[in-house]
Amino acid sequence: MNNYKTTVGIEVHAELKTKTKMFSNSANHYGKMANTCTNVIDLGYPGTLPTVNEEAIHLGLRAALVLNCKINKHMHFDRKNYFYPDNPKNYQITQNRTPIGVDGYVLIDTENGKKKIRIHDIHIEEDTCKSIHSDKSSLLDFNRAGVPLVEIVTEADMNSAEEAVKYLEKLRELLLYADVSDCKIEEGSMRCDCNVSVSKTDKLNTKVEVKNIGSISNVGVAIKYEEERQIALYEKNETFKEQTRRFDDKTMSTILMRVKETGNDYRYFPEPDIPFIDLTDEYIEETRKNLPMSAEERRNIYLDAGISKVNVEKIIQNRTVSDYLNKFIGKINLVIASNLLLGDVAAYLNKYEMKLEDTKLTDEKFETVVKYLDSGKINSKIFKDIIEDIMENEESIDEILENHNIKEMGEDELIEIINNVLENNTKSVEDYKNGNERAIKFLMGQIMKETKGNANPVLVTTKLEEMLNK
Amino acid sequence: MDKLSREEVLHVAHLARINLEEDEIEKFRVQLKKLMDDIDKIKDVKDYDEEMLISPVDHNAPLREDSEGKMLEYKTVMKNVPHSTGNFVEVPVMLNE
Repeated sequence: MNNYKTTVGIEVHAELKTKTKMFSNSANHYGKMANTCTNVIDLGYPGTLPTVNEEAIHLGLRAALVLNCKINKHMHFDRKNYFYPDNPKNYQITQNRTPIGVDGYVLIDTENGKKKIRIHDIHIEEDTCKSIHSDKSSLLDFNRAGVPLVEIVTEADMNSAEEAVKYLEKLRELLLYADVSDCKIEEGSMRCDCNVSVSKTDKLNTKVEVKNIGSISNVGVAIKYEEERQIALYEKNETFKEQTRRFDDKTMSTILMRVKETGNDYRYFPEPDIPFIDLTDEYIEETRKNLPMSAEERRNIYLDAGISKVNVEKIIQNRTVSDYLNKFIGKINLVIASNLLLGDVAAYLNKYEMKLEDTKLTDEKFETVVKYLDSGKINSKIFKDIIEDIMENEESIDEILENHNIKEMGEDELIEIINNVLENNTKSVEDYKNGNERAIKFLMGQIMKETKGNANPVLVTTKLEEMLNK
Repeated sequence: MDKLSREEVLHVAHLARINLEEDEIEKFRVQLKKLMDDIDKIKDVKDYDEEMLISPVDHNAPLREDSEGKMLEYKTVMKNVPHSTGNFVEVPVMLNE
């Protein structure tokens, strides 16, 4: 069974983050009441004319650039004809002959190092309406009709479910960090179709397209299911025709769908209502120059700042945290800042189901508190004590510390406490002098207990060492 | 060949989602062939080395600013909808998603 080689190609549809639709100025809003964000263009009324959304072209170009594509500077749209209720004008406006980007690639990490997944093309098109099916009828919501999309088509370069999942994770990260799409698979703003085939030789066998996969991990499940299903058929000397199947997440299996039009049946021809669009070299370069900082660049900055690999990945997983942290690059200790954001701040936000921007944590307050932690003016215990005030009150960090009666202890007071601790723990002092380094930690703990956490730990360490070595 | 095959006619009928009676299939085998022969005459036209014409105008597509305009009232949309359930337009079941 193991001598079969799997081949996978993937098509991803990603909705573009625009305010309005691809060819009309009705709103591109997810989650509104069904059929309340439409106009005559989206509904395909006769005599209406499409107008091209400038921002959709801009985001399509960004996507093509981050996928390392060659740009089609002289492009047009085509009509893809098919007769189906999800598209009442009976054609979808897409780019067949001149996709905005061609011949790109995405690099994924595999056990054998980096692997290049080639991008055949990326084209801009309009979404169809959303349909919900039951046994008796289908229900349509035209809010999604005309939402701008990019469709990204790979070559058949992936050879396992794991590689497909890695490709999709990388693609999602690229699009998310280029501000092209919010890539929410659960909301349908990123959708994946996979073409899977298995073969014992280098000659590709019949491929099966799997649609309707609702999560990146289920793409892996669907591919594994198809591998096994197809191998079992070949082992029984059975053959099958090219087909489209849908993934069923209840049974975690794929189910045969009826055959749909393909290739020539779509009768593509240039969209006569939209003349050519020319992208100038200046415009392309300007767009490239203004691309938001990629996840890869962010990773490098965070790793250089000393943040652990695990935390770097946690930050990258959460774009809001990454953007917030980036405001402080070069200003504060990013390790402390990231520990706060991933630790106490995240816990606070989870507890109260809030977002960072809903709190009273200003940039200034965050910068101050990280600096205080860095210098040892306050410690993490104090931070835990005052976090609710930081998040909920308008007061500055100094005012909050004062309200909590937290003052940095004066040097004289500290020396007195250290003296007392040393006098009461003569055995530990002796141990330290005999070379037991651990004894100092115990003494530190006693001093911090006596100071109730109000002393600057850096100062305590310096003073304690000084006094022990006298 | 002066006729299309029966399969070709049925395929075109399927794309247009229409059912044909037996006598209609025969009629269209002849008529569609004639139509295709006429279209084939385009091939005789001299092939100019010019850019493909996609639109009757020779300027580029004007691009629209990404700002929201007036939308249709929900009630207006539903006026032309024969069947609905909740806020949705209801159509015969689509098996072929």
